[in-house]
Amino acid sequence: MSLLANTIKDGFIKALKTTATLMKVVLPVYAIVVLLKYSPVMPLLEQLFQSSMGIYNLPGEAVVPLIAGVFTDEYGTIAATRQFDFDSLQITTIAMICLVFHSIPVEYALSRKIGLPAGKLVLYRLIMAIIIGLITAWIGGLFL
Amino acid sequence: MTASFSTIVSEFFFGSISTIISVLKVLIPLMIIIEILQVYNVMQKLSKKLASITKLLGMSPPAILPLLVAIVMGVTYGAGTLMEMNKVNPIPKKDYVLIAVFFFICHGIIETSAIWAAAGANLIIISVGRLVYAFIVTMIVGRLPIFYNHKSFKDLND
Repeated sequence: MSLLANTIKDGFIKALKTTATLMKVVLPVYAIVVLLKYSPVMPLLEQLFQSSMGIYNLPGEAVVPLIAGVFTDEYGTIAATRQFDFDSLQITTIAMICLVFHSIPVEYALSRKIGLPAGKLVLYRLIMAIIIGLITAWIGGLFL
Repeated sequence: MTASFSTIVSEFFFGSISTIISVLKVLIPLMIIIEILQVYNVMQKLSKKLASITKLLGMSPPAILPLLVAIVMGVTYGAGTLMEMNKVNPIPKKDYVLIAVFFFICHGIIETSAIWAAAGANLIIISVGRLVYAFIVTMIVGRLPIFYNHKSFKDLND
């Protein structure tokens, strides 16, 4: 088989493997968020985070995908995001925050493995995520 | 509970399936592209052209390869490249940390941007915006005095 054909085949197999890992994240996150959404905890969460999410022009429920992203990965965040009605700018803001600050347990372990100051990097990412969220929420609308 | 059991089950079932399908539609072509990039050493060729950028970021030229791999292809590929490079020819600690400073803000740009764009986010903001943000932050961090006084970077300045 030619190199190109082989490469395409390898890529396809990798995509299928990623799907398996993806399902391990998306299914539980989806289940938890659906249950959470209809439980009495949700209005409480919304109220609790209304003011802090308001800084980002996000409704209180946006805290759910953000928290999901911290512990899982961007697929977990997408699974959680799709269950609420966010507009394009709100999704972009959530994306920017979670793309900087996500999969903390996994990437903490990874950065320790390659010999980086893992704890400091987590703090750094949190601060950078807060800043990029503010920038996106405030000037992102100019581009949409 | 404000919804019936059947609503919850059907929402879970159809919602999670449609999420996975929409991600897959993007993921399969992307994984093939990433595989092609790797097999044909595209990153190595590109890194030669972009080596001068490292000066702006405060790194040494060899640092461009792991950085580029992490930005374009993803953090696991980038970490793999870093580990391999460290075995042969270790890059300075300062570069090591600056690469991390950059790629923890912006990594796997092909994959994440495409998937988030499919989910309804603005493609330009999450790809170009993130790249520019990471670039500016790394430029600032690389010039902080802490980097020149910290004990782990002493060997660089001697």
